[in-house]
Formats: sequence, C-alpha cells, structure tokens
Amino acid sequence: MAGHFAAKRLSKELSKIRSSLPPGIELVSADNFEEWLLDIRVLDNNPLYQNETYRLKFRFASSYPIEPPEVVFVKLPDRPIPIHPHIYSNGIICLDLLGQQGWSPVQNVESVCMSLQSMLTGNSKNERPPGDEEFVRGNRLRPKDIEFYYHDNDV
Amino acid sequence: MARLKLSQWDNAIADCTECLKLAPDSMKAHYSLSQAHLALRAYDEALTHALKAHELCLKTLDKSLGTVTTHVLKCKKERWDDMEKRRIRETSELEMEVIGLLERGRDEAVREAAGLDEGSRREIEDEWRAKIDLVRDVFEKARPAREKRRQVPDWAIDDISFCVMVDPVITKTGKSYERASIVEHLRRQPLDPLTRDPLYISDLRPNLDLKQACEEFLAENGWAADW
Repeated sequence: MAGHFAAKRLSKELSKIRSSLPPGIELVSADNFEEWLLDIRVLDNNPLYQNETYRLKFRFASSYPIEPPEVVFVKLPDRPIPIHPHIYSNGIICLDLLGQQGWSPVQNVESVCMSLQSMLTGNSKNERPPGDEEFVRGNRLRPKDIEFYYHDNDV
Repeated sequence: MARLKLSQWDNAIADCTECLKLAPDSMKAHYSLSQAHLALRAYDEALTHALKAHELCLKTLDKSLGTVTTHVLKCKKERWDDMEKRRIRETSELEMEVIGLLERGRDEAVREAAGLDEGSRREIEDEWRAKIDLVRDVFEKARPAREKRRQVPDWAIDDISFCVMVDPVITKTGKSYERASIVEHLRRQPLDPLTRDPLYISDLRPNLDLKQACEEFLAENGWAADW
C-alpha cells in the first residue's frame, strides 16, 4: 500500500509550490520526488537571523505523507545553520512536528517551512541545544532514528 | 492473474466471470475483471466492477483499499476521457454538417438570383456569408467554455493524498478525508490529523452528501480524476 501515495502527492504539492509560496520561502530545486531544497528567511526583525537565508533539505520516503519527511538545515558558504536551542550545529532539527509522534499527514512542505520560520521568529536564545558538540561529534544516525529528549516545550 | 499480465484480456474476462459464478463476492475477481474491461475500453463495466471491488474491500477490511481506490479513479478518468473525445468528434461533425447545409442553401439562392442585377446578387451572397460566419462563431465560442472551469474545488480534495475523493469519510471534528488515506494514517497512529485527539477507524462515518457532490463534480470534470 505505502508507496503509491508519495509521488502523486508530491507532484501536486510541487505544482502548487511553483505557482505560489508564502513570503520568505523559496524553492531551490525539486528534480525528483526524493529530495527537495528550499531556502527560508525570517521576516521580522529578530536580530539573531537578520539578513540571513537558510537552506533546508527535505527527503521523502515512499510512505510520505503517512510518514514525516526528513528535514535538515544544510551548511553552505552563504547558508549558515541558524542558531537555536533546538537546532544542532550539523543542521539536525529537534521539532516534534517532524518526529514520528508529532507528524500529521495533513502537514506538507509549505507548512513545515512556515513552522520552521515561526520557530526561528519566536526564539530569543542565542544558543545551541545542550550537548551539541558531543552530539555532532558522535551522531551517525539519521534524524528519524534519533530519540530526541525534549528539554523544554516553550521554545 | 497471469492472463492479465500477459494482456490476454478476453481470457482473463472469461476466467473472472467463471470465478464470480462460484464466488460472487470475490474482491480479486471483480478487481481483475475491472482491469481487463478497462484495457478493452469497456468503461462502464470497468467502473461497475471497480466499485464492487471497493465495496467488498470495505466489507472485509481488505488491505488493498488504497490500490482499489486509485483504480476506481482511473476508471472514472478513462471513461470521461472517452466520452469527451466522442463529444468533441460529434460536435465538430455537427459543425461541418451545419455549415455544409448553409453552403448548399447559399448556392441555391445564388442560382435563383441568377436573373437579378449584380447589386442584388452581391447582397444575397453577403447575407449568406454573414450567416455562415455567425454559425462558425457560435461553435467557436462554445469550445473554450468547457475548458474554463479547470480548477478542482478544495472541498473535493482529500488533504492526505491530494486526490479527488471517491469514498469520503467524516471525523468527529467535521473534516472529511478519503477513506483509504485516513485509514492508512490511523493504522499507524490513532490520532485526528488536525486536532491530535484520539481517533479510531471505527469512529469514521461515510459522508454520503460529499460523496455525491464529488461524483457529480467528476462527471462534469472527468479530467480532475488524475489532477
């Protein structure tokens, strides 16, 4: 059963994305139904993220949207990893929406981008998650296999 | 089954029909029969058996519900395409026929006017030319009209698969989804996709009015089946 959902649903999301996207979100590439790249910017005046653009990488399993996509920030010369207590310096994001438990199949690429935008907008802490260095050094798991411990739920 | 794969449609139909005599409620037989009919462009039969297979899937909680739902949409789409093709051919034939009749009328009028003076003859010719142009114009205007409404209304779309709904079911919150999609989600996680409240497959109720609305929409806009 799983499998015939993903391509069809993604092709429809793509045609919608190509016709319009909310401000601060841009499609960079979507050459197949496995991996898409998007850029996001924070629109308000939060000094932590001013004048920066961040690159997101979406990876879809054939069970999408029943299963969540894998979403990480990608580091490039002009695309840093945003500083945030739920974003590790290797780009891995700790957000319940993207986890097996928090995901809902009515979410989509656009809504995930918007959630990440507002996650950044609402943040005032200029810090990485606790244990960032150790996690980045030691982690060999894919984001979906990591059991995040949610330190706080107010960020 | 093998005969389906080998594209021996007639044999496959014979097998399935035989099978249905013995087991009238065989979902697989209806599904295969529908595939064979579709391949042979017997669209009405294909749709009838696809719907029957869908109904049986529901009754037996068969895991193929998703596949069968997709197949029902495919039958609807191909059936509509065929009707549309025929309609286009028929209207263009009608247009040629009407213009042919007018041209004959014109020729006759011109012949009858042979005895009149040049001015009157020209007047009659102009009159007929205007008539023919007008008829062409009317046919031309009718053409793009049906291309206009090529937009699928949100109420017909399942928010999980993004397809037009075939068998919509409604949740406690009042939101409807395609049965195959929401069941697939609830098997993995018994939570309402919008509110995250507990939601079980047994809580789903068919949304018959929406089903009928989707059917009517697809009947008029068959292209939307694989939108």
